[in-house]
Amino acid sequence: MSCSYEGNVLRAAKEDRWSESLRSHVAECADCAAAAAAAPWMNRFARMSDRQHVLPDPSVVWLKAQLMQGTADVARISRPLTIAQLMAYFVVASGWAAVLTWKWSALQTWVRTFTPTGLVNTAARAESLSLSFFAIVFVLATTTVMLAMHTILAEDA
Amino acid sequence: MDEGRFETFYRHTAGSLWSYLFRLTGDEATADDLLQKAYFRFLRANPAVASEEHSRRWLFRTATNLAFDHFRETKRERARIEQGMREATTAFESHDALRHDMMRTFEQLKPRERALLWLAHVEEADHEDIGEALGVKPKSVKVLLFRARKRLAELLTKKGLAP
Repeated sequence: MSCSYEGNVLRAAKEDRWSESLRSHVAECADCAAAAAAAPWMNRFARMSDRQHVLPDPSVVWLKAQLMQGTADVARISRPLTIAQLMAYFVVASGWAAVLTWKWSALQTWVRTFTPTGLVNTAARAESLSLSFFAIVFVLATTTVMLAMHTILAEDA
Repeated sequence: MDEGRFETFYRHTAGSLWSYLFRLTGDEATADDLLQKAYFRFLRANPAVASEEHSRRWLFRTATNLAFDHFRETKRERARIEQGMREATTAFESHDALRHDMMRTFEQLKPRERALLWLAHVEEADHEDIGEALGVKPKSVKVLLFRARKRLAELLTKKGLAP
């Protein structure tokens, strides 16, 4: 706790009205002596005028606060959508990674068939990539395009 | 809180809050910026039922936190801030030599010492409120305030301004 006289000391210093009992207390109390020493200067410093400075208008502050509140509300409302979007990116990327890992060697073989020699010699090996693989690739590609379109359109909006 | 009530509250508090922030930062633009941020936070907290005195204390506490956040963020730019303080004092110098001396003296204190002295002497806040504003225990406020007063007294003695 602070000294119980501190408030009285600050008031006396402000009004420059000291009672004898307060003076004798200040002489004995280090806290109040320090307060009494700082008070006159602080009071003069506080009275130093800042009138040359024009404060921001309250209506402008009010308006800015409303605008900021609106922006904060939009961010709060769109947070679930942002999370869903991030999850979709993750799912699509994982899907591509899984498909490529699953059929990596078959894909390499399939790509090699596009060379002129490969087309003649290894055309039969194309069957190593099943129809379901192409179906998965189609789904993933469609999802990727949709996600990309959504991202671009959301950024434009 | 509606706009009318806010405007009344703003007119009652903005002047003293700005003076506090200006004495703390020594820069008019920073004081303006922090003042507005403090009111934005105040409106976002929407203290509809709080008394004006309570709201005022809340506002000074928020402003103090914002000022200290600002000091932390601009730690590397201390030289720039000190330059700002010097510019502020120079602005005062052109007005009044006494003001210039006072600003120069106050700027030699640490930001926390400035906040302590201003809240205790000008805002007449008790140790509990000061502790809340500065994030320290009321017991520590007593010690910190004593040290700040001693430091101010030393500076004033050194400058020959002691009473």
